[in-house]
Amino acid sequence: MIVTAPSPRTLGHRLALPAATAGVTALVVVSLFVGVYDIAGEGFGTEMFFISRVPRTLALVLAGCAMAVSGLIMQLLTQNRFVEPSTTGTSEWAALGLLVTVLLAPTAPLIVRMVVASVAAFVGTMIFIGILRRISLRSSLVVPLIGIMLGAVVSAFTTYLAVSTNSLQMLGTWFMGSFTSIVRGRYEVLWVVAIVVVLVFLSADRITVAGLGRDIATTVGVDHTRVMLIGAGLVAVATGVTTVVVGFLPFLGLVVPNLVSMWRGDNARANLPWVCLGGVAIVVVCDIVGRVIRMPFEVPVSMILGVVGSAVFITLLLRMRARA
Amino acid sequence: MSTRLIRPLAAASLAAALALTGCASGAAAPAEQAAATTVTVEDNHGSIEVPVNPERVVALDNTTFETLSEWGVTLVAAPKPLMYDLWPSLSGGDEVLDAGLHREPNIENILAADPDLIVGGYRFREIYDQLKDIQPATIETSPRDGEEHTSELKRQTAILGQVFDKNDEATKLSADLDAAIADAKAAYDPSQTVMGLITSGGKISYAAPGEGRGVGHLFPTLGLTPALDRAAEDASHGDDISVEAIAAANPEWLFVLDRDAMFGEDGYVSAKDLIENAEALKNVPAVQKNQIVYLDGSFYLDEGIQAYTKLYRSAAEAFAS
Repeated sequence: MIVTAPSPRTLGHRLALPAATAGVTALVVVSLFVGVYDIAGEGFGTEMFFISRVPRTLALVLAGCAMAVSGLIMQLLTQNRFVEPSTTGTSEWAALGLLVTVLLAPTAPLIVRMVVASVAAFVGTMIFIGILRRISLRSSLVVPLIGIMLGAVVSAFTTYLAVSTNSLQMLGTWFMGSFTSIVRGRYEVLWVVAIVVVLVFLSADRITVAGLGRDIATTVGVDHTRVMLIGAGLVAVATGVTTVVVGFLPFLGLVVPNLVSMWRGDNARANLPWVCLGGVAIVVVCDIVGRVIRMPFEVPVSMILGVVGSAVFITLLLRMRARA
Repeated sequence: MSTRLIRPLAAASLAAALALTGCASGAAAPAEQAAATTVTVEDNHGSIEVPVNPERVVALDNTTFETLSEWGVTLVAAPKPLMYDLWPSLSGGDEVLDAGLHREPNIENILAADPDLIVGGYRFREIYDQLKDIQPATIETSPRDGEEHTSELKRQTAILGQVFDKNDEATKLSADLDAAIADAKAAYDPSQTVMGLITSGGKISYAAPGEGRGVGHLFPTLGLTPALDRAAEDASHGDDISVEAIAAANPEWLFVLDRDAMFGEDGYVSAKDLIENAEALKNVPAVQKNQIVYLDGSFYLDEGIQAYTKLYRSAAEAFAS
């Protein structure tokens, strides 16, 4: 299963990425043709294709990519395999930011909501990283536990705020990661995360080095603090935007980078395309399952991700323990 | 103070209060019985004897509020957060204690209100036993699941009529409901398909015929032809459905419950916005012909016999035009 030393570049190696890309593209195409409306039908079918299917599939690709990559960055920055936006409290902070904007400035445009959610996510991520620095860690499991606890405190506050303003009902619908309501005009802001992913590609090496610690980073000439800030910022934007548009996508950032590094080893830069592809593949598959399982109704993608993700998470834990 | 201390204190005070009420009724029983009469009604749990026209009433069931308000009943405690500003005559004033929301009922206030009668049920059905402990004259009259909804509404109204000595008024409310239903049935053309929707948080969900808050009850009551006939998994909040699926079902009529209308701050996305501005729905006959009936903004907090009468009336008007 684990491929070691990629030195003799075999044909298989060189073909792996294009083959995987082709596979994921095929999934994306399948996603375009899964749905209730008969798009082959006369007249309105084609229009429906562009109103509903294309935006939804694009949103899946963008959100899947963004959350998987966010997980990878968080794992590099904290040097911990169990960390991703939903186990560091980042998503919960984004949710709090969004709720506060809606309550204080109900008519604020989407862009304002996204900015506030991203800023809140950034603040939350920095708090998490700050706490990590102040405690001595015995076990790598403590890190996500702290994050989950932090997230629980924040979301408890969000829930309190929602209960006292009678918006609990809305809160539930907003943050349930679901692509059901994605149509033309309601996903476009997700393109922001495409920029984030590109930036991550450009700074992957520096993030990897910064993750090794301040001393090593400084030795090789990387401004540790700056890279930490940039990394956390990128994660915050990706999480904030995704949370506002589709809601929580739990475990995605955890499962994908871990599966990729189990299979290919830890080379962040080389793994990045795989993480992107993996994120897209999992989200698209989960969404297709969600669309088909109860046709013509849908099961939110977050529910399926939760089931798949927690299973993989437990498997990972058991494997780590076996190795230790 | 820690909760460890509060609990026994609360329990002790509850026990003391119960003992007191017990003593009081024991001592004053003969005198009271001469003055106040009682009536035996059949509520959701069976036969129960309650005082007629009780003085101190706590009502928690929102399906009864409009009726009680119309009949001039005053309350000593009410779930104020659930009532909004809908029933000022029931919830207004500091002398009306706040019974809290069903998620966090304020049992102490209900106890402190010292009620002669508690109208429990619906959202508050889970605390029935606790209410019974506070006041044995606790009735639950809300429409039961699985029963024919219209007759449940009439049954509820009749029970309340007996308790509050408003039998004529109750008969009138039931007659109004029947009339509205008959009108709507007469105006409806069964060849036209209907779909029920619930909107919340900017998303549209499907309300299954026969289930799902208000919208669903229209189908069996009026004999509507569903555009999409599927059982519900989530009857009270609706099932996740895409605009595509709504478009594919191609309904002639839409009945829409806007859950957020009541709480909606200025910026909330209204059902009208969601449905009439959806590109994917522009070819659906209901949208094209503007055959969409929106339920009253307060419906979701009301759901009583008057709310349904109003709903069936608006259905009748819409079908007739």
